[in-house]
Amino acid sequence: MKRYLWFIIPALGLAGVVLGYLLFSLSDTLVYYRTPTEVRREEAVDSRARLRLGGQVQVGSLEAGDGRVAFVIADETAAIPVEHTGTPPQLFQEGGGVVVEGTWDGAVFRSDLMIIKHDEQYRTEDGEIYTPPADAPQGAGR
Amino acid sequence: MRRKVWLDAAAGALLVATLAAALAVPPERTMGDLARLMFVHVPAAWLAYLAFGVTLVGSAGYLATRRMKWDRLAAGSAEVGVCFNGLTIALGMIWGKSTWGVWWTWDARLVLTAIMFFVYLGYLGLRRGIADPVARARRSAWLGVLGAVQIPIVHFSVVWWRGLHQPPSVIRPGGVQMDDEFRIALAVAVLAFTAVYAALLRRHMENARAEEALAARLASEEVEVAGAAITAPRYGEVD
Repeated sequence: MKRYLWFIIPALGLAGVVLGYLLFSLSDTLVYYRTPTEVRREEAVDSRARLRLGGQVQVGSLEAGDGRVAFVIADETAAIPVEHTGTPPQLFQEGGGVVVEGTWDGAVFRSDLMIIKHDEQYRTEDGEIYTPPADAPQGAGR
Repeated sequence: MRRKVWLDAAAGALLVATLAAALAVPPERTMGDLARLMFVHVPAAWLAYLAFGVTLVGSAGYLATRRMKWDRLAAGSAEVGVCFNGLTIALGMIWGKSTWGVWWTWDARLVLTAIMFFVYLGYLGLRRGIADPVARARRSAWLGVLGAVQIPIVHFSVVWWRGLHQPPSVIRPGGVQMDDEFRIALAVAVLAFTAVYAALLRRHMENARAEEALAARLASEEVEVAGAAITAPRYGEVD
């Protein structure tokens, strides 16, 4: 056991440092997508750099064209118009969560990759048994 | 040897009940029938947590007592856990393709679950690489303790980092985010998978005990093995 102590202590220390770094230092850049508020706030987003934008598809904003769709992704404080090239996944709908990947030029977000984001709520068709709390997260339904 | 089949029978019956419950629940509001994948994906993930948690208990138990039964518990549990961890990823990929639109993406939960799979696959590999049972038990016990650090990290990854995978629906602060139908069916599924785990783990430990007894007997007695009749050719002595 004593010989392994020389392996165990550094391993534990390494794991702790890596975890702490991930949790506290990298947490800003380790997000899978950015919210409309964050993208709007960043004036200096490089228009050629690819990034992911996530939020809710604003109800009433969807315009479907030939091989492309235009819609608005919004959170509580900001909204970003999106032009997506390609056929959206089956579960794409207004009011639903979505993550798009592409470029942002300050006016329109042009995406070519769309991923549907589902929330943690599972509800039946009538939806009456479960009533979401007032502070329900975004994407709580239609 | 008396056959103890009641646990296997109970696990089988519960699996049938799970299938019935999973098919009986109404379609989910946004995902429709795809939500039924929850009744295999979630309990499989739960079993991976449970199995690796039991591996932690077995590993700590071995390090404290140095008794081989703890090592058998840790090893058997890890083997079942790796199977269900792999199943979780496979089912999650099918679910992801049909709802998210992609088989795989570099989301924190997905990456950490895959890392957990390979760490415990490495645990099983480590055990195969050490011939001496005592050294094997001791070294793998340390890995069994260290590896368990991942369990809470994997579970809370969806809370700590903003990602694609949805946060927990059941083990979370602020109540279960699920209608009663889904909740009941999921409870049945979790119970069934836990029974399957218990049945598989028991078989594993029986096998491990039998293997140890055989190894001990082969070592203690001069048992003639089949290959003993054949001797290596001695070229140097041939004229």
